Amino acid sequence: MADNDSHRKLRIHALRYNPAKAGDTPRIQTYELEEAPGMTLFIALSEIREKQDPSLQFDFVCRAGICGSCGMMINGRPGLACRTVTKDLEADISLAPLPVFELIGDLSVNSGKWMRGMSEKLETWVHAQEKAIDLKRIEEPMDPALAEAVYELDRCIECGCCVASCGTARMRQDFVGAVGLNKIARFRLDPRDKRADADFYELVGDDNGVFGCMSLLACHDVCPKNLPLQTQIAFLRRKMVVQGTQG
Amino acid sequence: MKIVYTDVLVIGGGLAGLRLAIGAKRRGHDALILSLVPAKRSHSKAAQGGMQASLGNVIKGQGDTEDVHFEDTVRGSDWGADQEVVRMFVNTAPKAVRELAAWGVPWSRVRKGDRDVIMNGQKVTITERDEAHGLIAQRDFGGTKKWRTCYAADGTGHSMINTVADQAIADSIPVHERKEALALIHDGSRCYGAVVRDLVSGEVSAYVATATAVCTGGAGRIYRNTTNAVICEGIGHALALETGVSALGNMEAVQFHPTGIFPAGILVTEGCRGDGGLLKDVDGHRFMPDYEPEKKELASRDVVSRRMEEHIKKGKGHKSRFGEHIWLDITQLGEKHIHTNLREVWDICHYFLGVDPVKDMIPVRPAQHYTMGGVRTDPSGQSPTLKGLFSAGEAACWDMHGFNRLGGNSVAETVVAGMIVGETVADYCDSLSNTPTVPIGLVREFVEREQAKLEAFTKGGGTEDASAIKGEMQDLMTAKVGIFRTGKDLEEAVDKLQKLLVRSRRIGLRSPQLGANPELVTAYRVQRMLRIALTVAYGAAVRTESRGAHFREDFPRRNDAEWLKRTLATWKGESDTLPTLAYEPLDVARMELPPGWRGYGAKDYIDHPDTPERQKAVEAIRAQHASDRFAMQKALMPYEHLLPEVLRGRNERIDERF
Amino acid sequence: MDSTPNVIAGVGLADRPRKSRWPARMDLAQSLTGLALGLFMWGHMFFVSSILLGKDAMWTITKFFEGYFILGTAYPGIVSVVVATVFALVIVHAFLAMRKFPANYQQYRTFMGHRKLMAHEDTTLWWVQALTGFLLFFLAAVHLYQMMMHPGDIGPYQSGERIWSGGWGPLYIVMLLAVEFHGGIGLYRLAVKWGWFEGKDANASRKRLKTLKWVLTAFFLALGVATFVAYAKIGYQIRDQKGAVYTPSWVVPNPMEKAK
Repeated sequence: MADNDSHRKLRIHALRYNPAKAGDTPRIQTYELEEAPGMTLFIALSEIREKQDPSLQFDFVCRAGICGSCGMMINGRPGLACRTVTKDLEADISLAPLPVFELIGDLSVNSGKWMRGMSEKLETWVHAQEKAIDLKRIEEPMDPALAEAVYELDRCIECGCCVASCGTARMRQDFVGAVGLNKIARFRLDPRDKRADADFYELVGDDNGVFGCMSLLACHDVCPKNLPLQTQIAFLRRKMVVQGTQG
Repeated sequence: MKIVYTDVLVIGGGLAGLRLAIGAKRRGHDALILSLVPAKRSHSKAAQGGMQASLGNVIKGQGDTEDVHFEDTVRGSDWGADQEVVRMFVNTAPKAVRELAAWGVPWSRVRKGDRDVIMNGQKVTITERDEAHGLIAQRDFGGTKKWRTCYAADGTGHSMINTVADQAIADSIPVHERKEALALIHDGSRCYGAVVRDLVSGEVSAYVATATAVCTGGAGRIYRNTTNAVICEGIGHALALETGVSALGNMEAVQFHPTGIFPAGILVTEGCRGDGGLLKDVDGHRFMPDYEPEKKELASRDVVSRRMEEHIKKGKGHKSRFGEHIWLDITQLGEKHIHTNLREVWDICHYFLGVDPVKDMIPVRPAQHYTMGGVRTDPSGQSPTLKGLFSAGEAACWDMHGFNRLGGNSVAETVVAGMIVGETVADYCDSLSNTPTVPIGLVREFVEREQAKLEAFTKGGGTEDASAIKGEMQDLMTAKVGIFRTGKDLEEAVDKLQKLLVRSRRIGLRSPQLGANPELVTAYRVQRMLRIALTVAYGAAVRTESRGAHFREDFPRRNDAEWLKRTLATWKGESDTLPTLAYEPLDVARMELPPGWRGYGAKDYIDHPDTPERQKAVEAIRAQHASDRFAMQKALMPYEHLLPEVLRGRNERIDERF
Repeated sequence: MDSTPNVIAGVGLADRPRKSRWPARMDLAQSLTGLALGLFMWGHMFFVSSILLGKDAMWTITKFFEGYFILGTAYPGIVSVVVATVFALVIVHAFLAMRKFPANYQQYRTFMGHRKLMAHEDTTLWWVQALTGFLLFFLAAVHLYQMMMHPGDIGPYQSGERIWSGGWGPLYIVMLLAVEFHGGIGLYRLAVKWGWFEGKDANASRKRLKTLKWVLTAFFLALGVATFVAYAKIGYQIRDQKGAVYTPSWVVPNPMEKAK
């Protein structure tokens, strides 16, 4: 790895606001710290909390880019803070919580609650026909390429970046976002899920679902997992239009 | 005082907790999950490589059975495991994989015909059977005789927890997110639930339940360098320990993973080596065959980690400004393989190191990875000393990993334990006699006690800095209670940790409010973490032998004669600075696989006096039932009675139809 | 969205109210009308710009659309019918597209903040599309109504006069900009929205589509401005001949007229 000897002074401008505190108003607070080699926003924010301001709220869990906890607006765009390396950024870094989601405080938002609601609405689980599975028997075979394709869409980490980047979701609270549409595409592809397009139409066949999407494609451009959201939403739109106009 | 009532209170929303809750719920009991974070963000998600289950679908897994898996696991544990529990586990693992397959996990599947794989640094063509086409595939992992690790590309844990969490949503199981259990409510013999703090509002309330299950995962964060997520602070372990009644088993058994990226400590999967990745030193020399000619890079994790550190000590590590490290070379696997089967690895290297593993080697060094020890339970998952308290997964010590866990056995354990303990918890709740008469006074006492503790931090006028104490503890653990341990280091660590514990009683806060307050969280957790750290360090100091991941330079031999026993630690008094240790012997006379050489690592060990006799008896039984492996197993060590009825029975395979 | 199935007393689950099909129909109709209008505008621009090839070329095309070469006589009424059809498409398209606009000030403010913060090209382009679409509600309506009522007033001289002397110039130039941006962005968005021309690598094809979109916009704007200038020039030249009608150069002038 490249060793970087010049230690810049970073200025992190973080949005501070505690909605639980009476009379608190949103403000920007600036923290200065010395950049270290290989420093990520996870390291920087942890250092700020340890040494400068123990009250600063943010969320990290895996700090390895796989759990989706640390989505925040980094210089105006949603991204995963844990895998944002400071050397890729200017010395002035602005951080804000993801919009759309309920604010817990400072940089921490309740995206988990939103995701659970989305999952309940869209029934994001395999709907199998038979309830009891004989666990002693050899499993049902599945085409290897199909399994890979399902995995490809299953890679979503529900970080909320797509929702925060979505013009539609910003304007309309009930829009299910790319995360929801991708889930439907994933289960539609899964042969173990016995739902038909008519069933999926019931879930996403309206302006809160796939027809609400205006194809701004910010979701596709910011997705930390590079999910093929553009392709999947287009595909789902075609299928749902067929379902809605012919079915 | 706010009280929430439920049948089953599950603390921890990872794979074990979710699966346990689903099991209980499907049996008709209300289950409620408490989780520090949204369930899908639990550390289970980080399991990249896979889940062991002896399906034997791939050609390199042909002939695999529960028996082989059993032996691999027991050898891996360095005979520290409870062999009955291992049997329960290996027989349920295939069922768990198949259940998950039906629930929607996109397991990678076998493709019939020829394919090229890298084995031992060489390209080899293997041919998969037609009848295996489309069945769940297995890959190679450390410490296993057969290819047994089922996987979903390199996001196995991710896909598993997505699927299981979605099933929990389908079953309408509530997950109370951003809630932390502060204490178990108990009267010294039975557990009634937990005192819970809301991390957003700061509100403290009581959750009262018939059965309480601790499924909180590991305690890696007591170390500085760990692959564990930042929430893996051993809080569940501490909950059990602080009852003073329930014990923690084998806490000194701490696994270090060979390939944490250096210096960040983020894990790159064992699948890298399983798929043919090599470990190289400063000269680009592949050194593992020099130490382990048989298993090479694929010896068990404790052995590989030690060999790497040993090699670095010889001056063969690559020196960087952050210290020395070893190289992991996966370039020979090729771009396509890395971009499809090891994509998370590529991501991690790309985003955190700026390295392209298709072209460049990856800097790695062993990092703390897994807590073998945990809340001591019986094979049903219940604490033998505190009725109504259950535990499953990494937080538990029921004890299937002994002193070293095999790669791929942890995610497997989470789901298997969830399935088994979910049933036993449901059985427990079924019985009317187990329904507690709730002593509200006691509940209130516990809530008020925890509230008082919190207020002591905010109003107590203490001056110690919680973050600083935590940092000192982590550095101490990594430096003194790491891969190579000596009596001198361990005693020093115990001494210093005790001092830290005393200091932690005078912690003061810079931002003293009771609501959402990360500093307050650090403050109350650091005391708990110190108790866990002390349990690890003290247990390690007392155990004067080397077993599995616990390696004493001053006692390098495994000593079955004196130490074939499980450490049980309890914390008797609030003001104590050391745990009370007791030992539970493992009965050689009942072992299916008597202690011997693991097949890798040191061949030098001190036998238990009962071993030769048991060995002879085992051989006689094996000879007598040579034609029927099931009858043989039953004669050696019957275990099936310990399994819930729905989980009993043989597992079908391509080569073992019925 | 409500996840609980609606069970009305006496009505079983199988008969529960199904989700309306209208959202699908409307989504498709919005895209189809947009596509038709976008393609029409390309054609329209080519026909109008025939003036750059000369007055005769433009006259010929005009007469072709009036049915002169098939029916032997020019019927400007045919143009009225075409214009009316386009007008209808515009109304339907505007009605459907309006659903996507910010519905109140709160949404407007949120979107504007979002657009500024994100600085994301496709998001900004959508805003340009929405704005130009809004402008076109009025500009297109005026233009189309005029054309529908006076279909005969299309020709090298009449069109030139409208621009130079008739006060339509400013409207046309604003409309040119609005249409080209709106249509170019719209057609690009249609392609990514429905997954057309996606090929194997959606990112690469989107990049190509985006480039193509800009090239086409630039081309049609250049063509439009050149055309506008050409008509304006004609309008200037005939500024004193109110109501002049162009006669193709190959028509032998009436001897009587010459005598005058």
